Amino acid sequence: MAALIAARGLTKTYRLGQVDVPALRGVDTTVDAGEFVAIVGPSGSGKSTLMHILGCLDTATAGSYHLDGEDVSRFAGKRLAQVRNRKVGFVFQTFNLMPRLNVEENVALPLKYRGGVPRSERRERARALLERLGLSHRIGHRPDELSGGERQRVAIARALVGSPAILMADEPTGNLDSHAGAEVLATIEELHRDGHTIVMVTHDADVAARAQRTIHIADGRVVA
Amino acid sequence: MAERFPRLAAGWELVEDALREVRAHPLRSVLTLSGIVFGAASLVSMTSLARAMKEMAYRDLESIGFPRSYVVWDRGPRSDAQRAVDLRHPGLRLADLEALRHMPGVSSVHGRNPGTEMVVSAPAGQRLARVEGVDAGYLEVRQFPIAAGRSLRALDVMRVSRVAVVGTLLQSDLFGAADPVGRTITIDGVRFLVVGTVAPPSFEIAPIDFDFAARRIYVPYTYLTRYRDGQGRLSGVLVTADTATEFGRVLQAGTMLVRQRHGGAEDFEIENEAADVQEDLAMADGILAGWNVVMYAIAGVTLVVGGIGLFSVLLISVRERVREIGIRKALGADDGAIRRLFLAESLTLAFLGAVVGIGGGAGLILITEFISRQFGRSFAIAIHPPGVALAIVFAVIVGLVFGWYPARRAAKLDPIEAIAGV
Ligand SMILES: Nc1ncnc2c1ncn2[C@@H]1O[C@H](COP(=O)(O)OP(=O)(O)OP(=O)(O)O)[C@@H](O)[C@H]1O
Ligand SMILES: [Mg+2]
Repeated sequence: MAALIAARGLTKTYRLGQVDVPALRGVDTTVDAGEFVAIVGPSGSGKSTLMHILGCLDTATAGSYHLDGEDVSRFAGKRLAQVRNRKVGFVFQTFNLMPRLNVEENVALPLKYRGGVPRSERRERARALLERLGLSHRIGHRPDELSGGERQRVAIARALVGSPAILMADEPTGNLDSHAGAEVLATIEELHRDGHTIVMVTHDADVAARAQRTIHIADGRVVA
Repeated sequence: MAERFPRLAAGWELVEDALREVRAHPLRSVLTLSGIVFGAASLVSMTSLARAMKEMAYRDLESIGFPRSYVVWDRGPRSDAQRAVDLRHPGLRLADLEALRHMPGVSSVHGRNPGTEMVVSAPAGQRLARVEGVDAGYLEVRQFPIAAGRSLRALDVMRVSRVAVVGTLLQSDLFGAADPVGRTITIDGVRFLVVGTVAPPSFEIAPIDFDFAARRIYVPYTYLTRYRDGQGRLSGVLVTADTATEFGRVLQAGTMLVRQRHGGAEDFEIENEAADVQEDLAMADGILAGWNVVMYAIAGVTLVVGGIGLFSVLLISVRERVREIGIRKALGADDGAIRRLFLAESLTLAFLGAVVGIGGGAGLILITEFISRQFGRSFAIAIHPPGVALAIVFAVIVGLVFGWYPARRAAKLDPIEAIAGV
């Protein structure tokens, strides 16, 4: 079976004025379906940059990237937006929930951009997922009425609502206290047990130890 | 419903999103809308007012003039008459009036005798006044209101009764404070019974002075015909057609009839009152058309200024929501979805502005009506539907035009940079 993620020679160079800042210097990596992979590395090593490219939020300067059998490194615009919507569920360190929408509306939002999913179905799917994550009692609340751990679990629900091929989380516990972090981590592990493919960036060696496999990054390269 | 009209449902959701934004910034929204509100309000109130003025002017002109009438005037012998027929000049006669009355398409005929200044003596004094001989019903057709007593009746005219209706502006000179009805006056030495008084007609807006109508004394035209002009003769016949469309035919047929009855003599002339009225109406139209141009220009400029306000607020909104835009893109929104989001906000704001403005325009109309009542006039100004439609169309265009650039700018944002807030 082909790997879910297959990246070859990913390079990302930022241009700051006249200076080129290399963030990735040729990353090769594969992730199989059902895997739980942690990406670790020092600050500034390029973990987030890699995640953004793998999550189709950004494009590489060079290299090829196949996601679920499609060469998405050739995609742009509308097609790339659809890949983001259907294939990837992205969880940010800072939650990035919509402050004016309630929990249910936040979770249902990605389905709005799928097209043709009626509101009633979007709502149903959001509710089902929130129930599964133990957040049913928060459905009508706004993000600022939730604890950090709850916000991140709402963000996870939002990432999963479209049944993506892969869940990507960039330091999902980075803004949480240890208790909330453990809660979020438990949720992620449970999702993995249910068969979800998960790629997670972390600073924390303990957190990384929970994954099946760890990719070490340093200075824009995979080192182990 | 949503399942059956997915596009409609998606559009409505965009409007809901936009309304959420509007509610989140009520003051800013109100300020943004003010320009469009004023533009729409002025457009609606001014088009409605223009339309109402036009209708009132028409009514005024139609009430004093005769849009369906012409007058056949006796012309007397021409000083340079050469032809035998002209010398014979039978002149206008009562028989002509009766013949005209029975023509098809004729609604009414009224004998007239414009009369001359005569010496009028009354209990309170003596003075020179114009005495006009008219038919029964003439004062009513002209809409000269009877202030007291009664008007001239068909029987008065038939019997050549010596009865008079006195203009209210002569009243104090002739009778002092006393009630004129039932009193006797003498006109050129002949005694007349005063049966009523007639007031000047009132107009809605036309700046026309019709006080002269109330400075006259009206008597049966048959009296003047008999005792001044000679037996069976009369000075003029007012002919009114049933409908305006028939007027042309009625005029032509009447002219031919009189000419034929007079054996081809040129002893009468036609005063085409309908044409005069049309001329006045055309003039009123011209004035109002000029006003319309000024008005549309003002409303247009106001709306464009409103559009510029909308534009700057949308740019602020885009800047404020950069992060939100980034998140939406990360969740799979493409450029078009973001563009639609902001265009919907722009259109919703503009549309709300138009709706509020239309309400404001209606309010201005009510105020105008109220003020007119304080001045003793009762303007009835109907809201002009094309003005309402124009306000909405204009606002939507403004929303699209001025929303386009901010929406495009929002759509072009890069998701990662937007989320990072760069
Ligand atoms: N938009 C950008 N413009 C210029 N340089 C950038 C930009 N984004 C990232 N970089 C640089 O690219 C390199 C990798 O950054 P990245 O954010 O991927 O690191 P990271 O491993 O996620 O670090 P951290 O653990 O602190 O989150 C860094 O040197 C960073 O300064
Ligand atoms: Mg990072």
